[in-house]
Amino acid sequence: MKTMVVESWVEGPVKQFVDDAQVDIALLLHPSGQVLAQHGFTRSVDVMTACALAAGIHATGGELGRMVDGRPFKGLHYAGTGRQIFLAEAQSQRGAYIFLTVFGPESSLGLVRLYFAELVTGLTAAAPLEEPTPTPALAEHFERELNRNLAALFGRA
Amino acid sequence: MESPFTGILTSIARQRGVLAVLIVSERDGIVVDGHMHVGISEDRVAALAASLYKKARLSANAAGMGRTSFLQLEAPKGRICAVGAGELVLVVVAAPSINVGLVRMEMLRAVPSVEAAAGGAA
Repeated sequence: MKTMVVESWVEGPVKQFVDDAQVDIALLLHPSGQVLAQHGFTRSVDVMTACALAAGIHATGGELGRMVDGRPFKGLHYAGTGRQIFLAEAQSQRGAYIFLTVFGPESSLGLVRLYFAELVTGLTAAAPLEEPTPTPALAEHFERELNRNLAALFGRA
Repeated sequence: MESPFTGILTSIARQRGVLAVLIVSERDGIVVDGHMHVGISEDRVAALAASLYKKARLSANAAGMGRTSFLQLEAPKGRICAVGAGELVLVVVAAPSINVGLVRMEMLRAVPSVEAAAGGAA
């Protein structure tokens, strides 16, 4: 399974994470839901759906955290019977990203947390030195950019 | 704060050359309880040692060798020893000079107590 990226600087850290943590799925996205990198999906529609859900969960967790704890929750782990989900915010000098990963019995939460910390360090080191440009959650050209990113990952619009 | 595992951990940590004793969930690779010296990254060791133990156990099963009793990893600056106790793994990080026979005996002797404490803690 190939790791596909929209921006080349995220490729190294995401590939390293996938190799080290032995996860089935990895998805790096902007909090608005725009995909930056993916591993494990074969259809663009699944990436689009996963991005929308991940962005929604992240936003909901953030608000819930502010409500009950005075600050946003930064991560989520759900253990199913076979597979588990880990979703967390990855901060870099280019701003915050959301990272979603799905793993089975070949990996563990401990390994995922360990290599997620290394992924964040890797993203921080690899990020191009330019000012972060915060994008509104619903930018004017959101759909066009979403389609462009999916086309970059899967080679078609 | 004492846990059901405190006595077991203290008893093994008392051995000369033992740098860390951890009780880790095999499935999650997360520390349940531990006793360690400064300078050892418990989360890192726990996640990797649990993964190593799990893979060794699965390999032994796949090869028809039966249940894994004791795993020892030798490195230039120390050793990692692990034994399974139900859903938990008892991990020891030790100096190279350690008396492995003694530590192995202590660890295997601790397995029923870890399993009992885990049952009581659940």
